[in-house]
Amino acid sequence: MAHMEYNVPSERWPAHPETATMEGKNKFIGFWIFLAGETTLFASLFATYLALKDSVPGEDHPLAADLFALPLAFVMTMFLLTSSLTSVYAIYHMRNNNFAKMQLWLGITVLLGLGFLSLEIYEFIEYVHHGHTFRSSAFGSAFYFLLGTHGFHVVIGLGWITLLILRNARRGISVYTAAKVNTASLYWHFIDVVWVFIFTIVYLLGVM
Amino acid sequence: MASTAKKQGVGSVIWEYLTTVDHKKIAILYLIAGGFFFVVGGIEAMMIRIQLAVPNNDFLSAGLFNEMITMHGTTMIFLAAMPLLFAFMNATVPLQIGARDVAFPFLNALGVWLFIFGGIFLNLSWFLGGAPDAGWTSYASLSIASAGHGIDFYALGLQISGAGTLISGINFVTTIINMRAPGMTYMRMPLMTWTTLVASVLIVFAFPPLTIGLFLLIFDRMFGSSFFLVETGGNTIIWEHLFWIFGHPEVYILILPAFGIFSEIFATFARKRLFGYSAMVFATIIIGFFGFMVWAHHMFTVGLGPTANAIFALATMAIAVPTGIKIFNWIATVWGGSIEFTTPMLYALAFIPSFTMGGVTGVMQAAAPADYQYHDSYFIVAHFHYVIVGGVVFGLLAGLHYYWPLMFGTMLSEKLGKITFVIFVIGFHMTFLIQHFLGLWGMPRRVFTYLDGQGYNTANLISSIGALMMAIAVIILVINIIMTIAKNQKVGRDPWGDGRTLEWSLPLPVPYYNFAQIPLVRGLDAYWIEKKANNGRMMPSESLEDFHMPNNSFIPFVMSFGLFVAGFGALYFASGKDWAIDAVSGLPVHPWAPWVLGLGLAITIGAMITRSVKDDLGYYVTKEEVLRDLEEEERRAK
Amino acid sequence: MAEIKQEPMSKKKLDYVRRERTREMRQQIISFSLMIFLTFVAFGLVAMDVSPQFVIPIVIGMAFIQVILQFYYFMHMKDKGHEFAKLFIMTGIFFALSFVVTFIYIVWIGKPI
Repeated sequence: MAHMEYNVPSERWPAHPETATMEGKNKFIGFWIFLAGETTLFASLFATYLALKDSVPGEDHPLAADLFALPLAFVMTMFLLTSSLTSVYAIYHMRNNNFAKMQLWLGITVLLGLGFLSLEIYEFIEYVHHGHTFRSSAFGSAFYFLLGTHGFHVVIGLGWITLLILRNARRGISVYTAAKVNTASLYWHFIDVVWVFIFTIVYLLGVM
Repeated sequence: MASTAKKQGVGSVIWEYLTTVDHKKIAILYLIAGGFFFVVGGIEAMMIRIQLAVPNNDFLSAGLFNEMITMHGTTMIFLAAMPLLFAFMNATVPLQIGARDVAFPFLNALGVWLFIFGGIFLNLSWFLGGAPDAGWTSYASLSIASAGHGIDFYALGLQISGAGTLISGINFVTTIINMRAPGMTYMRMPLMTWTTLVASVLIVFAFPPLTIGLFLLIFDRMFGSSFFLVETGGNTIIWEHLFWIFGHPEVYILILPAFGIFSEIFATFARKRLFGYSAMVFATIIIGFFGFMVWAHHMFTVGLGPTANAIFALATMAIAVPTGIKIFNWIATVWGGSIEFTTPMLYALAFIPSFTMGGVTGVMQAAAPADYQYHDSYFIVAHFHYVIVGGVVFGLLAGLHYYWPLMFGTMLSEKLGKITFVIFVIGFHMTFLIQHFLGLWGMPRRVFTYLDGQGYNTANLISSIGALMMAIAVIILVINIIMTIAKNQKVGRDPWGDGRTLEWSLPLPVPYYNFAQIPLVRGLDAYWIEKKANNGRMMPSESLEDFHMPNNSFIPFVMSFGLFVAGFGALYFASGKDWAIDAVSGLPVHPWAPWVLGLGLAITIGAMITRSVKDDLGYYVTKEEVLRDLEEEERRAK
Repeated sequence: MAEIKQEPMSKKKLDYVRRERTREMRQQIISFSLMIFLTFVAFGLVAMDVSPQFVIPIVIGMAFIQVILQFYYFMHMKDKGHEFAKLFIMTGIFFALSFVVTFIYIVWIGKPI
């Protein structure tokens, strides 16, 4: 009777360690379903934003075209896109059973994510100085709620990946931890998917 | 380790239930909590009917009446109907597909505790300054203006219990996709499993928009944003859209599992294979899909314009087609069958005409111009009670009698059950049939009283007497349950004698690991096939070996409790602040609110980190233990 | 439940798996470059002040291409075993589009249709 093996010897390391166990497969399917639910969550946010865009109480309140700066949004996009690639590298090394490199690439992903987050905070502070706040108008509320929910996802993703790096530091890589890393990476990619729509709909269409 | 059949003290039983991850015990938790809220919602309904029994009544004040109708609707939909359906889904689905547990036992427990804490939070509003009073739809134009904290309880309570529902939905979809026994192909799954799958998919897509809608309301009322405040550019139509994007699928989330329960009952007690199985499956999927394309039919009178109204009217009428297919298939299943009139079967037979009447009035309202006439009248009240009571509640009562032996190993009294049935069905039609006419005569819904001499007196009195009969029926049901528990006469495997699906092939009470060996499924109605073609025993698909089970955990309880605490922090956050909306800015300031909010979130996040950092690998049930259980069961069978 | 039914991979199989992984990595790098390129073009088009009627559909179209690349290559949706992921995400996107379209047209921003 084969009891559970967490540390599979390298000659029997499966081609897809993340779905090699029943639990892994459950996590994989369950998480995709969760992401599908997130699409309608973000759809509601985008819809609300589009309905309330530039809906402000008075003439003196700044509008989207006055506020948004493309260079900053471009740099933020680069940070997030690159972090998506680095987490692809982490998964590549996970499948090759290369623990040290996996941890390294996860670490780089976190750093890039932190870069994105600090730029976003800087951006928000700028807007607040221009009088565009969460409470100033319906436009402000919708903008900060959409961007804030995405930013919150980034924070959760960073906390999650950091926690995984720390908790796995001692344990190494196994079919049990591989499933965890894979889910976190799917989550991170999804954050990037949402950002693609944010920079297109909020920033690019916003400044036009 | 998990439960064994040993005698246990009260304390250890309670601890077992607080930490359980076993889907059968979680089903019992859902049943108890949902049953409790069903009674609460029923009392609220009685209050409403007492108030409306005679003209110019002052049994309830106008404000209290608004709180009653709001809490009645909210409680019945979110805290009674859905959890009770979850109880039956949990009790049956893993057994029907031949699994030892759901895909995420931990999340299953988290779901039930989030629901329970959310429900308690919502109902605490009665004692902490007044319940929500903007109707169960809580339209923003009303809810933003509602003074006090009632609406805040609504928004936060639903947010907490809604998170639990979403989690349970994901769990069921994954379970059904990934945990089916060998041979259990999609087109061999019992209808209860199919409807659970489709309803869970609807939950996955419909609850996130509600989450967003509730957040908009929470932010406006508690954190000073202006999504719905027109003077700073807000728009209250957004709430209506988000609410109904969720709200319409929600009624299908309720009715589809009820359809599943009825399909099982018809096949069992007509002793026939379900007629048109594949048509039933596709009708279920089509109903689920269309459920998302029709939400604006609740908003015909908002003024969306004729084009939008026409599109949504057409889509709404289209839903009648798959529903009609289902109705005819049920009739064809019963047709020519060897019918046994048990209590569940009686409910199922009464369901067909009752639900069809509700469906037909639904098509009437789908005609947008005609809907201008029905809108906001008692006609609407009659319509949705015909589908929800005549469909969902009948389904729940039928399911309660039908699955009681599976959940508790005893049988509810058939005699009392039939008495309940007769009184309940007569009471139901008495209450709501007349309300169609009240609506057509011009009585608006959600009014706390009416004047004498408008021609509403007799009809309202009849309606109230009917409601009283339903209450009596529920009291008899409760007596039935208490007597059954007191008598505690155990029944054995396949207590109805005609079980067709896998869950009835198990010994009662079902062992905590469900299946000693995962069975091999050879067709639709797997157990029935083995009864006819074999000796009535399922063929195993694996040799008898040690197998893996999940550990109990207290973390789900702690996580949910954290959100419950955080809810109070958020609730009092805006009290007395100058940036707050008028409804709460005059209330006394609570300086502790942010700290409580932080504390609650810290508890939840701490619990999540604990869960992540600790390896929870489960344990193994040994072959010897399973063999012992099997021998024990052999002995009892002789 | 958690057992791995995995025989040791033969040398040949292992080589094959490794080769496949390297090939996949190459695809991922290509899609990353494409994504960067699309982002450049999108920002460039907007910065160049081309007529909005022309730019808006192109920019949105490029966003969808990026997202498809992200899903199919970065999140491995092209691999087998992702049928459900595809079905669910596509259903989600369909619902998402219908929500967004209604919110654009019928919350009384313009004339009701």
